[in-house]
Amino acid sequence: MNNATPWWSSEVFWKKTAIWVTGSMFVVLIILTLDSIPKITAGSERVPAYSVINKHIDYKFNDERNIQVPLIGGEDPLFGKMLSEEEAEALVSYGKKITQGRNCMGCHTLLGNGSYFAPDLTKAWLDPGWSSEEEREEMMIAFLMDPVENARSFGSGRMMPNLHLSRGEAMAVVAFLKWMSSIDTNGFPYNFTVIDKEG
Amino acid sequence: MKLDHLNGGQQLAVKYYTVAISLFVAQIIFGLLSGMQYLYPELLFGMLDFNVTRTVHINAMVVWLLYGFIGSVYWLLEEESETEIVGLKLGQLAFWVLTSAVAVVVLVFLLVQSGPGDDFTRWFVNEGREYIEAPRWADIGIVICMLVFFYNVAATFSKGKWSGISGVLTLDLVALAGIYLAGMFYTPNISVDQYWWWWVIHLWVEATWEVLVGCLMAWGLMKVLKVDRKIVTTWLYIEVALMFGSGILGLGHHYFWIGTPEYWLTIGGFFSALEPIPLVAMVVHAVYDAGARHMKGNNNPALAWLIAHAFGNFFGAGVWGFMHTLPQINLYTHGTQWSASHGHLAFFGAYATIVIAMIYIAVPYMRGQKGLGSNLPDGGWKWKWSLGLLNMGVVGMTVALLISGYEQSFIERAVGGSTWYGYFSAQTHPWFIQGMEWRMIFGLITSVGIVLLVWDLLTIGKGRVAQEREQTQAVA
Amino acid sequence: MLEPVELKDFFIVFFSGAMVIMAGALYALLFAWSRLQSKPWMMVLAYASYGILFISVLVLGSAAHLHGFWWWLVITMLVGYLLAPHGIWNLCVATHASSVAPEADEKDLEPGSNQPINKTIKEESV
Repeated sequence: MNNATPWWSSEVFWKKTAIWVTGSMFVVLIILTLDSIPKITAGSERVPAYSVINKHIDYKFNDERNIQVPLIGGEDPLFGKMLSEEEAEALVSYGKKITQGRNCMGCHTLLGNGSYFAPDLTKAWLDPGWSSEEEREEMMIAFLMDPVENARSFGSGRMMPNLHLSRGEAMAVVAFLKWMSSIDTNGFPYNFTVIDKEG
Repeated sequence: MKLDHLNGGQQLAVKYYTVAISLFVAQIIFGLLSGMQYLYPELLFGMLDFNVTRTVHINAMVVWLLYGFIGSVYWLLEEESETEIVGLKLGQLAFWVLTSAVAVVVLVFLLVQSGPGDDFTRWFVNEGREYIEAPRWADIGIVICMLVFFYNVAATFSKGKWSGISGVLTLDLVALAGIYLAGMFYTPNISVDQYWWWWVIHLWVEATWEVLVGCLMAWGLMKVLKVDRKIVTTWLYIEVALMFGSGILGLGHHYFWIGTPEYWLTIGGFFSALEPIPLVAMVVHAVYDAGARHMKGNNNPALAWLIAHAFGNFFGAGVWGFMHTLPQINLYTHGTQWSASHGHLAFFGAYATIVIAMIYIAVPYMRGQKGLGSNLPDGGWKWKWSLGLLNMGVVGMTVALLISGYEQSFIERAVGGSTWYGYFSAQTHPWFIQGMEWRMIFGLITSVGIVLLVWDLLTIGKGRVAQEREQTQAVA
Repeated sequence: MLEPVELKDFFIVFFSGAMVIMAGALYALLFAWSRLQSKPWMMVLAYASYGILFISVLVLGSAAHLHGFWWWLVITMLVGYLLAPHGIWNLCVATHASSVAPEADEKDLEPGSNQPINKTIKEESV
């Protein structure tokens, strides 16, 4: 070894440092992951159980946290039908598989991730564009089944292509969207306007 | 082209480089289509919708960069290990398997496009998760081919000799392959889905890819500028410490809004602010190196692309990343054209440039020459223009998208409250549309750049071969 | 708790964020240059760049509401960006101290050469 090299600039020192830094950062990440995963498992405080689709979902400003947070209300079964936890999970899961199979993320963002060619779907269930809570379910189904005929492009000329969803498939997608809107996303999207309660 | 004079690893590398450049061309073609669809929504509507063109655009990018990395590693493998590659035949088989798989996946994306919400679709058509849309069978195929690649690298170094660079490289490949597994499962829970999905995307792009590029850069500096190995190795370790030190927990800036607990806001914010530090280190070190040794290269195009890499990485990852990384502002910019702006400059600046530099390092050897100095027969106008046009095109697109994104964070997010109506009022705003028009213009400039790049790679130095041959024939 | 940026401060946040990194790099560049060429007047410019960084960080801190716990981020950035170039420079000097002159191994590389660039490196495994 050359004596001119101080210990803090030697190859060996930095090799060890690189290994220790990488190792410890990874350990910290693992610990944080072990803490985070239970907190985002369905049924937790931040990510409600799938049966939340039986409930009324709202998005309200929370003064303490200074952001909007989802508010789970009383009974409001999707398509008027109460589902058990298993049935709800099956329906939401089917809906998510359809969104993956149709590559929705190729145009939309979900929780803000995906493409930017079409609106974010995080709170699509709560969007004021669905007229009112009474008409919402039917409007969503009609739109998903024939997005060209029921185009909602607000003068942009951009349309969703017809992805040939059956009524059952469209219902599953709506179930997935309703469940997703109940996730506590730390206030994303910000300053969101929620759909009218009545028509 | 006759490649018998190259070693086994280098012959493999040429194959990978060829596919890489072809996919780069595909990336740009589909990028142009996607950009056009912003301006003319009826373009190919119902035939090749935006979700298809965009999926091919981003997947072609990921795959061509991976091909470029694999090619670069194979290129340096025998020289670095001082022995012959262990599994040349196996490596060639893996190349053809991987390339056929990529071709099938692209054809299925283009022709089948989508499927019903069942397991068959995810296994054989489209997984529908951004960047890792490739169906499950292809994931498994990719992992197997990566294992063959890993075997070739690790076994060749074991048979020959290890060095600091090869050690870092091999460990990094383990991490790179291992992290990919985090994206290979299904869950109905979108929060858990995106939690692991970011492990693949972030820990590839902002950690393991960075270190892989650090290894290539270290080798490139030794090769092009003849920098001393001991120094290069020490600095590779320093960079690994800085990059993994800030980059691994920098993952936190993707965990702001996906349902994960609030402490990620702080972790993500802090480590994102640290992520530019390796870049500052590079600035100081580059100045020191420039003064400490004569900047005498034997490969001007490669050197120019390495410099483009340094600048691109600094602006794309550093400046463009930091501008919208703090959660206080990211709340408005997340999922807008901001991300697209940052993505274009960062991917190009940090990765495309270095792969192109590595290919330029290989080109003279492929043609049996000593280097690509300044005495090219045509003055090297093709590589100079392709360098200029590609960089100008990408920077132009980045600025155009930035303007659109700025407008979008205003109109859609802050004023419009992120509703569908807010989204479309932002998309129809003149600033947004003009941003998209300028993006298209610079996209076309980028395409002229790629045409010149391909032309140059196919022809550079050829005139000189002819001259040298004529001279030898005259002597004979 | 998060205090999102106000609409009127958007531009300030983007601009000061960009300036933090740009001024940070300019400071690093001038600092290294000044040391390299022993030009003290350039060090004045370097610290002027740091001054810009300092102001940018404070502006960013106030526009992005970096109060409370977030104030530590402001402190970390101010101290970190000030010291990083010093540390890196010292590392540069120290790592290059033991190296042979760069010209020593400067010879043309033969096509398809399997020659190692520097044969003096001792074998080591990781």
